[in-house]
This record gives sequence, C-alpha cells and structure tokens, in this order.
Amino acid sequence: MNETTGKQGLHAALTGGIGRRAVLAGAGTLATVAAIGFPNIVRAQSKTLKVGVYGGYFKESFEKHIFPEFSKATGITVEAIAEPTGEAWLVQLEQAARARQAPADVSMMSQVAMLKGASAELWAPFDLSKIPNAAKVVPHLVNKYPDGKVSGIGAVSWYITLVTNTKSYPQAPDSWAALWDPANKDKLGLLALVSNSFLLEVTAATFFGGTKHLDSEQGQLDCFKKLAELKSNVKLWYRDEAQFEASLKSGEIPMGQYYHDVTGLAAADGQPVRSTFPKEGGILDSGSWAVTRASKAGDLAHVFVDYMCQPSIQALLSRKVGTAPTIDRKMTDLTDQEFAAVSSDIAPIIPRYDLYTSKSDWLNQKWTEMIVG
Amino acid sequence: MSALVLDGLTKRYGPVTAVHGASLRIPHGQFVCLLGPSGCGKTTLLRMIAGLEDPSGGRLVIDGRDITTAPAHTREFGMVFQSLALFPHLTAGENIAYPLRIRGVPKAEQRKRADELLELVRLPGVADRPVSKLSGGQRQRVAIARALALSPKLFLLDEPLSALDAKLREAMQIELKQLQQRLGITTIVVTHDQREAMTMADLVVVMSQGRIHQAAPPMEVYRQPADAFVADFIGMTNLLEGEVTAPGTAAVPGGTLHLPELPPTGRVLLSVRPEDVIVHPAGMDGPNRLTGTLSFMRDLGASVEFRIDVAGKEIVALSRPQDRPPVAPGGALAVEFPPAACVVLPPMAERPQ
Amino acid sequence: MIRRAPRGLAEHAPILFPALMLVVFFVIPFSLMIAVSVFRRVPGGFYEPDLVFANYERFLTAFFGGVMSFSLGLAALVAALSVGIAFPFTYRLVKLPRRAQIRWLVFLLSILSLSEVIIGFAWSTLLSRTAGITNLFVALGLMAEPQSLSPSFGALLAGLVYQAFPYTVLVLYPALARLDPYLEEAARTLGSSPLRAFFTVVVPALRNTIVATTIMVFVFALGSYLLPQLLGRPQHWTLSVLITDQAIYQSNMPFAAAMAVFLVLVSLALVGLALLAGRREETA
Repeated sequence: MNETTGKQGLHAALTGGIGRRAVLAGAGTLATVAAIGFPNIVRAQSKTLKVGVYGGYFKESFEKHIFPEFSKATGITVEAIAEPTGEAWLVQLEQAARARQAPADVSMMSQVAMLKGASAELWAPFDLSKIPNAAKVVPHLVNKYPDGKVSGIGAVSWYITLVTNTKSYPQAPDSWAALWDPANKDKLGLLALVSNSFLLEVTAATFFGGTKHLDSEQGQLDCFKKLAELKSNVKLWYRDEAQFEASLKSGEIPMGQYYHDVTGLAAADGQPVRSTFPKEGGILDSGSWAVTRASKAGDLAHVFVDYMCQPSIQALLSRKVGTAPTIDRKMTDLTDQEFAAVSSDIAPIIPRYDLYTSKSDWLNQKWTEMIVG
Repeated sequence: MSALVLDGLTKRYGPVTAVHGASLRIPHGQFVCLLGPSGCGKTTLLRMIAGLEDPSGGRLVIDGRDITTAPAHTREFGMVFQSLALFPHLTAGENIAYPLRIRGVPKAEQRKRADELLELVRLPGVADRPVSKLSGGQRQRVAIARALALSPKLFLLDEPLSALDAKLREAMQIELKQLQQRLGITTIVVTHDQREAMTMADLVVVMSQGRIHQAAPPMEVYRQPADAFVADFIGMTNLLEGEVTAPGTAAVPGGTLHLPELPPTGRVLLSVRPEDVIVHPAGMDGPNRLTGTLSFMRDLGASVEFRIDVAGKEIVALSRPQDRPPVAPGGALAVEFPPAACVVLPPMAERPQ
Repeated sequence: MIRRAPRGLAEHAPILFPALMLVVFFVIPFSLMIAVSVFRRVPGGFYEPDLVFANYERFLTAFFGGVMSFSLGLAALVAALSVGIAFPFTYRLVKLPRRAQIRWLVFLLSILSLSEVIIGFAWSTLLSRTAGITNLFVALGLMAEPQSLSPSFGALLAGLVYQAFPYTVLVLYPALARLDPYLEEAARTLGSSPLRAFFTVVVPALRNTIVATTIMVFVFALGSYLLPQLLGRPQHWTLSVLITDQAIYQSNMPFAAAMAVFLVLVSLALVGLALLAGRREETA
C-alpha cells in the first residue's frame, strides 16, 4: 500500500497535478529557495553531478536502485536534489540561471515545463554524439528546440488508462467511448484538471480521428462540446488520487481514468480493479531529462543521461519503479508480463503539451466553465 | 383564609439533603424572612417555592391548589435574584415590561405599566436607560419593579440587598417593607442578616442545616427562642447549662437559680440576653445572684458591656452607664438573672453551629 | 481620567510587538498579494512586475460571479448552521458538571486535530453507497437499498459544518460560561417557558458573541478548499478551489492573487456590513 500511495505522488508531481501530499511537500520548496541564495559552494569533488528528481517516492527509488549502480559504473557521485512540485522548480532554475547558478545540473522535468523552459532557452542542448543510447529512445520522447537541437531526452513515462471495478463491470470496456455511455451515469471518476486529465486528447482520439483535431480552436471547441456530454456520468472530478483509488476499489465509483501501474499493483493485491488499454490507446505521459544552461557539469550530465537510456536501466525502472520504458521494448529483456504491467503495444495517445503552454489560460478557463457550469 | 402552605418540602442532592421536610403556613399579606447562616437551605427552599427546583418530597399548596410540580413559568410569582439577573440587552423599561411582552400585551400598555412601576419604586424617568448605565441601587429597584410587573400572588427575593453598601441597604429595607405594606403582597425574603429580618419581617423563619428551627414574629424569636441555635443566632445571649435539683431550682455553674418554669427534673439550658443580666457590686445579696470576677469591660456609649467570669463560664452583661458599679477588671461582681428574663430551652443534644 | 498620549519610543513599546506582528503577518503578505495581482502574467512562464488590471477584468465575468456568490452563500449557510447547532449545544454544555464539560471539550479538541483531508475521507465513506450510513438504514428497514449520498451539496455542507463545529463551540464557550445562569431563571419566573426564555433572553443577551462567532465561521468556511473537492461536485467548488487551481496547477499567480484580493475585500465588506447592521439595531 505504501508503494502505491508513493507512486501517486510521483505521477501527480510530474503531471503538474498536485495532490495534498504534494502541497505538504511544498514546504521543501522554501528550503530550496533559501539554498539558491547562497553563493555556489565550491565542490570538493569535481566528479559530482547534481540530479534533480521529484521528492518522495521517486527520489527514494532512484537513490535505492539507480544512483549507486551509476556511481559504481562511472565513478561519478550523484547528489540527488529533491525537486518541488508544480512549476516551482522551473521558476527556480530560471532565476538561478540568470545568476549563473545551477541548483541541479540535470533535472527531470514534466513535458509542459520542458516546453516552457525551452521558450526561455533554459536548456543546454544535448550533443547526441555523446549519448549513443539516445538513439534507442522513441522519437516522441525526445524534446527538440524549433531549430532541431535536442533540449531534453525522455527519462520516464507512464500510462493513464481506462480503469474499472471488476465486480461492477465483469466485462472490461474496450473503448474510451464507454465514458460517454448513458448506462454509466454517475459512475465515473475523472481527473479534475484539463492539464492532467488529458481528456481533450482522449475525446479527439475517440471521436475526431486523432489529437491533430486539436490543432484548431474549432477542433478544441468540438472536443469541449463532446466532453460536456459526459458530465452527467461523472460522479467525482478528483484532484486527490487516493480518494478515487479508494472509491474504485470499493465500487463506489466503478469506472474512470487512473494510472495503469498503480491499478495493476492494486489488482495484484487482490482488489477488484482492472486497468484496460482502450483500442484508442492509453494516455502516455512522461518526464524528460534536461540540463540547465548554467550547469558546468554538462559532460557528466551526458554520461548520466546515456546511462539512463540503456535498455537494462529502463527495464530496471519498469520492474522497480513501475514506469513504462522510454525505448522500444524489444531492446529490453522485459517479459510479456512485466511489460504489460507498465505499458502496452497499442499505440498511445500522446498529450498535446504544446497546447498547455500556448493556450493554457484559455483552455483552463473553458475547462473550468465546462465542468463547473 | 387561603394561604401558602409548605407541607414537608424536602430537597435531596444525591446523598446530601439540603432541605429536611420544611412545613410552614404563610397567611396572605405576610412578610416572611427565611433567615439562617449560609448553606442552611433557605435559598433552596425559596427556589422550590419559585418552581426553580423540583422538591424530592412534600407538597406545596397555594390557595388550596397543589403546585408542587407546576413549572416556574406557570406559577406567576415575582422573583428578585441575588445577582438581580436584569437582562443586559434590554433597557430598564424593557426589563420591567418583559413579562408583559411575553404575554402579548400591546406596546403602549407595556410602556405605561413600566412607567407606573418605576414610579412605584421611586425611579421615574429611567425607562429608556440601558441597565448597564444604572447604579447598584437603581438596578435593585428595576429588579423589584420587574418582579412586581404582573402583580404576582407571591413576591420572592433571594438576598436582594446583599450587593448594596450598608447605608443603602438600611434604607432599602425600610422601603421594601413600606412597599410590601402598600401592596399587601405576600413576600418571602431570603437573608442571612438577622437585622434585616428583624426590620422587615412579620414572620421570621430561622433555618439551619436544612431544618426550620422556629417560625415566629421577630420579637418572639428574640424573646422566646425555640432552641439554643435560635437563641444564639439571633442577637447575643448567655447560655447556661444546669440541672434541676428541686422543683423550681436549678444548679448552674457558680450557684443555683430559682425559676418558676423549670421542668420537674433533668438537665436544662437557660438563655439570658445580656441586657437582661443585672450587675451588682460584690457582696450585695439577693435572689438569683451569682458571684464572679470582671474580666473585661468596655463602654459603648449608650451602654456598658461587662464580661464576667462566673465559675469558669463567661457571662456577658449590658447595662446603662448610670447603673455601672464601681469596679475595675479583676474585681469581684455579682450578676443577677431575673426569672422573667430566663428562657428555658430544651437541653442541647448536639449544639448546632 | 485624562490620559496623556504616549510619547517617545519607550512609551510606545507595549504596542510595538503586536504592531510588528500585524505588519509581518498581515500587512506585508497582503500588500505582496495586491502587488502580484497587478503583475503581468507571462504565459508559459511566471510573472513580471507591471501594473495591469487584466487579472481583475478576467475575474469580472458572470462565471466567476456565480462561483463567488455560491462561495459566499455556502459560507453563510455553514456559519448559520454551525452557530445554530453549536449555540444550544454549548448552552447545555456549560450547565453540565465540570468533569463532563472537560470530557466534551477534550473530545472537541480531538476533532480539531483532524485534518481537512481526514474529515473529507471520513464523510465520503460515511455517505458512500458501499460502506455508508444508508446500509444501516437498509438493515433497519428504513430504506430499500443503499444509496450514495456523496459527492453532493448536502455532503459538503455536512463536512464543513462538522469541521467548523468544534471551533464554534470553543469560541462560544467562554461567553456562555460567563453568562449569569439566573437570567434564564428570571425569565422563567416572569412567565417564559424554558424554550422561550432561551430565545428571548439567552440568545439576545449574547447577540454580539453570536455575531462575532458567525463572522468567524463564515470566514473560516470561505477559505475551505479541500472539502469542496472531496465532498462536492464541480458546481460546488468554491472560489478558494479555483484560486488554488490557478496558484498551484496553472502557476498563474497574478490571477490567483487578484481573485484572492477580491475575496478578501468582499468578505471584509460583508463583515463590515454585518457589524454595521448590528450597531444600527443596537441604537435603534
């Protein structure tokens, strides 16, 4: 159970969706902010790399399973920095960079934060020739500047899928369209924010032939209109994952969207829940590694990212942390069962992160009016 | 003639009995004082009469109607509380008119009655003042006026004057008595001040440890106390323990006394008020005289107080200055107990104090 | 008695500490919030110092007006219910023997120690179809089948009142404990039934306390942002929920600040009006 709740924190942190746990963890932000104010203390060891990962479960898992192995393999010491949640870390990196400081050399960033950082040219471009393993990373998980330079490389990814209570639904649904089924009135639990539920993308993929439909404002409005139709099916628009998870297990809210790996763990625990990859695909959210331009440890960062992209490490992450591999599964030694626990061969729905940077206020306003109104 | 009758009223709080079977008959128009030391049960008795405490036993009857279990608000008695309990959110006039308002009397009539009552308690023109702007004495009068607003059958006051200073208290005692006489209303006042009781009451009810010791007019309580407690509690007295040795003769410390009203035999207790004790120079013989030594003397102006040691027992005597014998402390004296002034009390089993 | 106004630093010293606290913990944060509310939002970034009113303009729409009215209405209802229940409760409480009073107060304090999240979870479970109170009703034969009562307006109201109740009792307690118990008895001897005495004497005598407590609970309920999410449907989300959304999820500090400033001003205005109405009533 502990592991499960820890993971919620992880997902919430990376999607910018913040549960209550994360808000409490925000106290850590203050400490970080205070630390930036001080002049960079000269590092005793030149071969030390500061890696920013989200605090809590994520940092613990990395410090336990990944960093020691990395240090053993490369001789580089890792100093793990707990990142605050939301976009606070991006803001801190930006402000620190202006003062030529790097609170962390390489950080795990959400996709929206990647785009926002890129617009401010915060990220030092990666030299792919120094990262041979980067070639294995699936193309949509490589972040690029408009001119083609690489700003970030996929670190971890995970799926949000269609989840159901097996007692209430003996038959697994096979399409996201089930969310719109009038038979499911007052039965759904969906994420409360436009930027963490990715339901616009789901709507576009299910009814309008793909997320390209969201390119135009008309397309976005189409999706909002369609989405408004499922409102009466929604019992809970949740921000707190634990609340939905408990309701899903008890059957109080028997259907909804949730994290694939967490649901799998609950099912393995004997809970009457299942996660289904609909035919339109699961929602694939992800985080990327990015190096702040103020970092003086770029070389070490390259070594680190290359190490992280290795098939064996990606397989290790899948097994120990529950993330989907950022590389083609064929390169890993994951068994079918291990792979199914974190991912699927069905083509994913990839969120339109670009929209959440360029039109975030507008989308947010429309969304809030849609569900509150 | 109808009246208020208390028939064995009892109040128990768990193992503690606050009032033991109080029985009393109060005729119409009487001014009654429940008098006793604190904790004697007088307030509990008053509260039972008001309906604020449920009796554990006994009956309460007014004009032939049993009201033992009638709720307070149906009894239509006026009551003045020790804290006065004036409603702080209302003006003086509104306080007085409150019982009228509760009964739906029209506003103008309420106002008229409030003014009348303020007139009655000699406090005209303060109807619109908030009670917080009134002095202690004024509040007292407003509380009295409020309790009288409905012309109640019974007027109850719980230590009503205890918050006032001594001078104002004296004045209010007289005024309260006059008011009661004017209205002819049956009134029961709880007090621990015997002077207050003597000033106002037609009937003094002396209580101690939950029991009524005596209920009688003030002078009778003073002159003919029913028992040692009453004799001791009301004013100052000399209590002499003695034994009847022959018909009409009792042996007391320091000699014998000849008294006509003695019981034929056994132990007796005699009460003699200090002002009834006559002091003579030593050596002057006569009946009912005991010899002693002057231990203390003080001149109080209107009288002289002597404290005389008679066979180890201190006797207090008051005499007029002109009757003062020429003796200094340490000197011998004779004290005379006139038979008419000696009250024979039942012997003390246990001395209440 | 005429008092000389304090002169010099030394004579002002006693008020320096509270004044400092007020400045540090209220004036400065509120000023910062006002400042941020007129800053320019940088889409995709954070904000930059500026003097723009776009954030306020965005707020002044029918949509936010609706959310605002709902929040104020909800807070007022919670305040009225909490005080309405807590006042008679506390009135009974202060008449209990001391030992029983202490037991109750400790129990209430223990409710205070519960976090909003735990309260939210407890109520959503209590009102759920699968494990909730309706199962008990079914067992007792009062209902045909268990029902889900949450999320709903009623659930939200119950949660908020439950949360506010101990505060309300603790604020009312001292005033009620100090109230002369003879006031009610006096009213009874003057012809009021106990219930009538309660409403014509006890309640009006403590009017100021009741008004102050109601305002406190009102402000308290206005700031609630977790329970509406846990126990309410989207139409029951308060302005505080939307402020949180903007501040934390959308990183739109200027807009969040503008909404917060507006909320504070409207609350202050309402509180002022309530006090003014109270005063006028008093002088009338």
